Amino acid sequence: MKVVEINEVEKTYHDTEVEVRAVNGVTLSFEKGDFAVIVGPSGSGKTTLLNLIGGLDQPTAGEIIVAGHRLSELKPSELIDFRMEHVGFVFQSYNLIPVLTAAENVGFIMSLQKWPKEKRMARTGELLEAVGLADRHNSRPSQLSGGQQQRVAVARALAPRPEFILADEPTANLDSKSAETLLDIMEKLNREEEMTFIFSTHDVRVMKRARRVITLEDGKVVSDERTNHTV
Amino acid sequence: MKDRQLAWRNLWRNRKRTLITAASVFFAIFFALVMRSFQLGTYDKMYNDVIRSYSGYLQLQHPSYLDEPNLDNVFTVDPELVSRLEQDPNVEAVVPRIESFALAAAGNRTQGVMVIGVEPERESKALNIRNRIVRYKLTTGAIEALKGEDLPGRLEKNIELFTGEAFTEPKDLISVLGISKKDSAVLLPLLRNHTSFPGSYLSAGESGSVIIGNGLSDYLEAVPGDTIVLIGQGYHGTSAAGLYVVKGVVSMPNPEIDNRFVCLTLDDARWLYGAPDMATSAIIGIKDGGDKELAATQQRLGAIAGEDLAVRNWKEMNALLLNQMEADNRSGAIMIGILYLVIAFGVFGTVLMMMAERRREFGMLVSIGMRKGRLAAIVGLEMLLMGIIGMIAGVIASLPIVFLGHARPLRFTGEMARMYEDYGFDPVMPMLLPDTFYLWQMAVVLLILAVAIAFSIRKIFKMNVINALRA
Repeated sequence: MKVVEINEVEKTYHDTEVEVRAVNGVTLSFEKGDFAVIVGPSGSGKTTLLNLIGGLDQPTAGEIIVAGHRLSELKPSELIDFRMEHVGFVFQSYNLIPVLTAAENVGFIMSLQKWPKEKRMARTGELLEAVGLADRHNSRPSQLSGGQQQRVAVARALAPRPEFILADEPTANLDSKSAETLLDIMEKLNREEEMTFIFSTHDVRVMKRARRVITLEDGKVVSDERTNHTV
Repeated sequence: MKDRQLAWRNLWRNRKRTLITAASVFFAIFFALVMRSFQLGTYDKMYNDVIRSYSGYLQLQHPSYLDEPNLDNVFTVDPELVSRLEQDPNVEAVVPRIESFALAAAGNRTQGVMVIGVEPERESKALNIRNRIVRYKLTTGAIEALKGEDLPGRLEKNIELFTGEAFTEPKDLISVLGISKKDSAVLLPLLRNHTSFPGSYLSAGESGSVIIGNGLSDYLEAVPGDTIVLIGQGYHGTSAAGLYVVKGVVSMPNPEIDNRFVCLTLDDARWLYGAPDMATSAIIGIKDGGDKELAATQQRLGAIAGEDLAVRNWKEMNALLLNQMEADNRSGAIMIGILYLVIAFGVFGTVLMMMAERRREFGMLVSIGMRKGRLAAIVGLEMLLMGIIGMIAGVIASLPIVFLGHARPLRFTGEMARMYEDYGFDPVMPMLLPDTFYLWQMAVVLLILAVAIAFSIRKIFKMNVINALRA
């Protein structure tokens, strides 16, 4: 089942005097349960493509359909709701809310979605357990290590049961051990919850775990390979 | 997590900055309220002093008397008209008076004075001269005698600063000298004994007596029992001269009046100025002097008085004082405006720093599904809470000072007091109790916050999520 369809998508920036075509005629699709990475050198368009898939940006040309929604047809406020309902984000620099505890951060999107408190708390407990932080419910982000913060961020992204998770360089700021632990958790969640993960990364450790590696260069897909790696 | 909880926690994530910003609002509103209370309290006292001791709220006059206040613009008092005016529900009494000028002399001293002829019994219904008779006075002799007594150290050291001060009640004596409740029981009999001052008020039908202001009494060195000479010009240029015994001394709150005040019976004044049955004005004592009721009463009485007479309110009669106060009021408002401007920049600085520091966080919140309107509401609530904390603290801190300053007004002594008196002001600065000016100051702070909130809301709505995430 296709979760994301990208048809002939282009994204051009006119920020400077020079026109920059960050994404140039990309056509891709992602299936439910994918564990895919988008790789490529800096400036190849990885993050731009991720932003387009997540509805944070609009393509200059082409079409993106996510969970049956044509993103170009959604108004800005509808796009925000769309992201809340269908997309989980994991950022390179964790981006947790510093004044909330780990549990409150995980439950934050669910509270935006007005989940009942009991249901929200149960899901939060389940996810913190899944990411190995059951004992850190009440810790603030400043009391957690980088790896722990990123695990909380993954739990937050998963909490409202989105269609897929977009993770932009999730291991870039982590040491090897933390990165491996995080990837183990993501793989486990991919397997157990059949959650689709789409990464952009430079990290070989992530590439080695991926079952699909898409390589971008100058905004174009130069290769799209399935690997033998099994979860 | 409710939005207000999130806003409250965000408020304290940078505790120092929040406290500094709230403190700036606190000091702004605190100083503005205290300054304003002093300023408005002083105006209020001046207006009240003039109204209660001199002009009254309303006066019946010859139409030309306001522009040319002299004896040629007098009117004949019609008892029937007075009776009709007194039937108005807001009128207590209509008290005719003659008011003119003369030279007063005693011994080898002369002073230009304001002469007022009143009906002693009815006067108290409009003005308050009777209750201003000096009963106690810190004359040089009284102070010398008191220095021989066992006074508290501070009072003994400072008592000379009060030379010449006159009092109508023992409680005023205690209050002005700053005597504690504990000491007052012992000191009051001493003070009464040494500062007791002779004199009484005029009686109806009495002739040949005058009451003079305390300042004039000091200048002429005339005390009750002494005789003064009044020489001036009467109705239609006749000569006015008379010899009068000082019956009492009054302490008028306005020094300008106190230094020139001579009061005698209306009959004596009519005889002195050769204006039988006439009056320069009739003070209209009223029950409710509020602006709205005053205007309505003035209109009703004006209709009764007809075109030959005019009913003037205290503002028309004291235009100079009002203009003076208005000019002072504006300079005070400019000072407070500058204070608020500085604070506004402080608050704005905080908003700018906060928006810059949290840009990425805002981008993240919108990207994971928080609507910009909700985010703006949370940030606006944070700003509002920060300002309101400072504002409420400032208001609360100002209250004890304002109430104390109202109950025990700041009273200048010595050189400072003389300087005030030279300008024609009573050297007392009372504070006005909380009134609409409190609401205005709070409204200004809320306006500053509203502008800061509007700026932050605009920034949030114009925020580009991708740029914010890269911040």
